[in-house]
Amino acid sequence: MARSSLSTLYVGLLGLATLASGLADILVWAGAGPGVTFGILEIAGGDFFRWGWGGAVMVFGGLFMLSGLTHSGSLQQSAKVLLGAIMVGIIAGTDLFALFCESVPAGEGAPEFFNTASGFLGGIAPPYSPAILLLPCILGILYLIGRGEPDDA
Amino acid sequence: MQRLRGVRPVKLTTNERWDLVDAIAERTVTVGTYRQTIGDILGELTVKPATGIPVAVAVLYAFWSIFGSFAGTLVTDGFMVRLFDDHWLPWLQAAWPGPDSLLYYLAVGDPLAETCFEAFGMLTSGLFVAIGVVLPAVLIFYLMMTLLEDSGYLPRLAVLMDTVLHRIGLHGYAIIPAILGLGCNVPAVTATRILETRKQRFMMMTLLAIFIPCGAQLGVMRDVIPDLVGPVMLYLICGFGIFGFVLDRIIPGENPEILIDVPPYHWPAWENVARKLWTRTKGFLKEAVPFVLFGVLLVNLLYLAGVIGALADLFEPLFVTWFGVPKETVGPLIAAFLRKDLAVAQLSTIAMTPYQMITSVVLISIYFPCVATFVMMLREGWKQMLAAVGVLFAVVFVYGGLIHAAGILMGVA
Repeated sequence: MARSSLSTLYVGLLGLATLASGLADILVWAGAGPGVTFGILEIAGGDFFRWGWGGAVMVFGGLFMLSGLTHSGSLQQSAKVLLGAIMVGIIAGTDLFALFCESVPAGEGAPEFFNTASGFLGGIAPPYSPAILLLPCILGILYLIGRGEPDDA
Repeated sequence: MQRLRGVRPVKLTTNERWDLVDAIAERTVTVGTYRQTIGDILGELTVKPATGIPVAVAVLYAFWSIFGSFAGTLVTDGFMVRLFDDHWLPWLQAAWPGPDSLLYYLAVGDPLAETCFEAFGMLTSGLFVAIGVVLPAVLIFYLMMTLLEDSGYLPRLAVLMDTVLHRIGLHGYAIIPAILGLGCNVPAVTATRILETRKQRFMMMTLLAIFIPCGAQLGVMRDVIPDLVGPVMLYLICGFGIFGFVLDRIIPGENPEILIDVPPYHWPAWENVARKLWTRTKGFLKEAVPFVLFGVLLVNLLYLAGVIGALADLFEPLFVTWFGVPKETVGPLIAAFLRKDLAVAQLSTIAMTPYQMITSVVLISIYFPCVATFVMMLREGWKQMLAAVGVLFAVVFVYGGLIHAAGILMGVA
């Protein structure tokens, strides 16, 4: 990815946002604060697996993106940025899959097996985890890496 | 090859052989300039510890998240619980004649039960565990496992784990039977043949039988004790490390270094994925369903004959004083020899504290391997199997006591 200063700034900001989201996930899970809901953003923080372990993955993803900024332009560094983006993509993908799996069956006590269309749409509606909200920006990184010509190939 | 058929073999001199090699190489090898791609670098980054370990953490997260969402939330909780508890159980309770008869007790179980877990009949708990809980867990586990295998990630994980596993006398490839064991211990025992020495194969087989819970058991644990899966797994991982280290020190034999061939990353061929998934799931179903049904039948017969009550009284001092669990856990321990998933389901109906539940589930996991695994171990050699069983009893006694002691120290037992 031949980096312009704009794309470097983009990756840097996204790396920082990912790192901050991961740290927030872990802190909320560890009990430093109650669950956070801010507009369409939600960090519930009750479950170690999602917010502790998943938060750690987000932290690593952010660090990879930031470490890819040094000596920017080399293929090696682009791969690190891509790896960071993949890690955020993993968390976002599994969050979306979990939302889907919760929303397909009808709620407890309902006589039918499948949820109604409105029930399903209500189930997958916001608020979302930070990883899901960062997902469109991650797609931007994939676009930048895909269109850029590596300097040291 | 077609043209060579029927041609009498000719003895070649060394020079002629090299000429032949040159001729074949000239026709088949294309020489070009290597151009490193981002995919190659990603491949390298996933085997370097500094970047590879975080990636492994992320991959395992994705693995268990998808496993839990699909098997637990979607299929079992979303559809199967409703199907079995709201439709199948009431229909069977109403349709089967003679609620006081022996046949009713064996097939349907408790006539007043409201859930299939409570009923404990062959056609209620047995079918629910096999089809409603275990099948979706095994299906998604094998799908994920096959994708990791066919994409080229599994050999990278083997490279990454090599240093850690060498500390307990194994090497990186031991991760393959370990991960396979998380699906089913039966193919995992066969996969220990990937290890070089007799010592390594014995160690891995023993550690598998004791400390690796199968996918079926994990599925049931995820369903009946979701909050306690983490602590149970932590105890099992610690036990794997501690007893692996001890076994490495006391068992004579070599731990050779190995070379691992790491293929480049590639998209899995869907045809291969489907074929592997079908073969593995079919094999599992053929073994699991009869054992679960037979397990429920046998345990019910043993309860009726008073055998489990007598064993519970006999082992009460060991269970209550040494392990710190209720004596009623003897029944599930007997069922565990047939199916560990069934035993965990049975445990969920016994009243006990969360720590006693953790201890009981760990004991079920480390206690005798299920009968299918036992048969596979026997096929690998009866001497090895007997030695593994000896180690197993010692580990159950020592580790069970240690977990109880840890609970007392933490003030929770």
